[in-house]
Amino acid sequence: MFWAPSRTAILILKLSPLILPFVVLFCGGVFLTVCQSLGIFTPLPHTGGILAAYGVILSDPSFLGSFGFSLGVALVSAAASVAAGTFLAYRVWQLPKALAGAALVYKIPLILPHIAVAFVVLIFWSRSGILSSLAWHLGLIQSMPDFPNVLYSGWGLGMILAYTLKGTPFAMLLILALLVRFDVRQIQTAAMLGASKRRIFFSIVLPRLAPAMHTSFIILFLYSFGAFDIPYILSESRPGMLSLNVYNLYFKHDLARRPEAMAILTLMLFFAVVFIIAYSRTVTRLENGVRKL
Amino acid sequence: MKKTGPIPHVLTLLVLAILFALPAGILVLVGLAPGWRFPDLWPKRFSFTGIEFLITHRDQILTALASSFFYSLATVFVTLVMCLTPAAAFARQRFAGKRLLEALLLTPALVPPMTFAMGLHVVFIRLSLADTVAGVILILALFTYPYMFRALVAGFQTLGEQYRTCAKNLGAGPVAIFWQVELPLLVPAMIAGGSVVFLVAFSEYFLVFLMGGGTVPSFTGFLMPLLASSNRSLAAILTLIFLLLPILLFFVIDGSLMRTYRKKGMA
Repeated sequence: MFWAPSRTAILILKLSPLILPFVVLFCGGVFLTVCQSLGIFTPLPHTGGILAAYGVILSDPSFLGSFGFSLGVALVSAAASVAAGTFLAYRVWQLPKALAGAALVYKIPLILPHIAVAFVVLIFWSRSGILSSLAWHLGLIQSMPDFPNVLYSGWGLGMILAYTLKGTPFAMLLILALLVRFDVRQIQTAAMLGASKRRIFFSIVLPRLAPAMHTSFIILFLYSFGAFDIPYILSESRPGMLSLNVYNLYFKHDLARRPEAMAILTLMLFFAVVFIIAYSRTVTRLENGVRKL
Repeated sequence: MKKTGPIPHVLTLLVLAILFALPAGILVLVGLAPGWRFPDLWPKRFSFTGIEFLITHRDQILTALASSFFYSLATVFVTLVMCLTPAAAFARQRFAGKRLLEALLLTPALVPPMTFAMGLHVVFIRLSLADTVAGVILILALFTYPYMFRALVAGFQTLGEQYRTCAKNLGAGPVAIFWQVELPLLVPAMIAGGSVVFLVAFSEYFLVFLMGGGTVPSFTGFLMPLLASSNRSLAAILTLIFLLLPILLFFVIDGSLMRTYRKKGMA
């Protein structure tokens, strides 16, 4: 009995360097965001009801538009990153030792900041860019306006390209970390038993990689959903990403609209948390249904 | 398994090169050819105006670079201090609510950083932490510590208990075990976590802009207005610096680490 409480105390002491900042700064920050969305602690005294900001946001059709748009950009870019990253990681893993070193170029976009990746997309895909010039030389277009307006199509393609370029190496990194521990003999056995390459990839390799694929999908999806750096450079006017709406409300409008910015942030946070829980639950349920080797 | 020829492997490398190395190569060209215009596939003329600008503005650029470098390293250090003992506890001890706590502790890296950073902004202003380097480091550490935490937990797990038991049996106290046995063995995990933390901190624009408020110089803050300007050449050169500095840093760390290990006869 004497030892029991003191062991707990030591454990709490050991955990406190992390728990304290988490509770004070992270939970505190979230709490303040929620408070300000309700009109509490705002720089200006709040007029109107406690849910006034939410009323304004939710009755504004452009909010729903932006929400759907952010969701779409995040979904497409995260799915594309994970798909491309898985395939490329598998191919890199199969490389003979002599060539494996050269494959390290995949880490370049990992080092480049998001704003630099957005810049690269600008250089390649704008109407006066590299690909447009290439199309002209190939005789596909006669003049600059003939090149498809990729960056300002209204579909967020520029942002999707940037997030995918940044996200693919990230997915590759996580998946390669799993592949390193993968037993080659499983593939050899399957091949000896007559499995096709496609069958081997989909029935043997892919299920082993699933944990890293899920992790990278969640991280990439939520990042592209709520980040600011890339939309700031590559956004089109309408509909905008949610993060840009928040930025505009926070910095460009008067202080009376602060609760609206915070209400959008609260809804984004709520969505992110619900997404994480729902996604991990679904994955667990799916995995329980799968026969394990 | 059926042996395949080298062609698929060369193809893999080609795809990787086009996707990931070509952009860096193009950045070099853009940096050296300010007048490169549609529809030229190769610049007509090269000039050093971009580099000249770099030299005339070197004070400003070096300040921004040094500041980014400093707060990113400081963030690594802060996350390390935050995560060391909790990671040890998570790797070795069983306690109630451990899985839930771990999931909770990882959320700051998952949810959009805006959602907690903007709420904190008001308090940081009240506490005079806004517009200071300390404020920037705090918010970056809060956003990046999960990477350090994951790396250290994995590090402690691979370390196992044997070294500790062995040192204990030889008469080492807990402090000596930590400093002389475990910490040196954890260096690879610290570097793995630290490089991610450094990269995320070094390349973050928004959080530094929000909490630094423009008074804390940063390389991303210096680069941002140039990316949208018509002077692409300069933006390209600065972007390349962004690429080279971390690579250089990793080579230095890797080299010194190998040398230390060799000296101690561990490699």
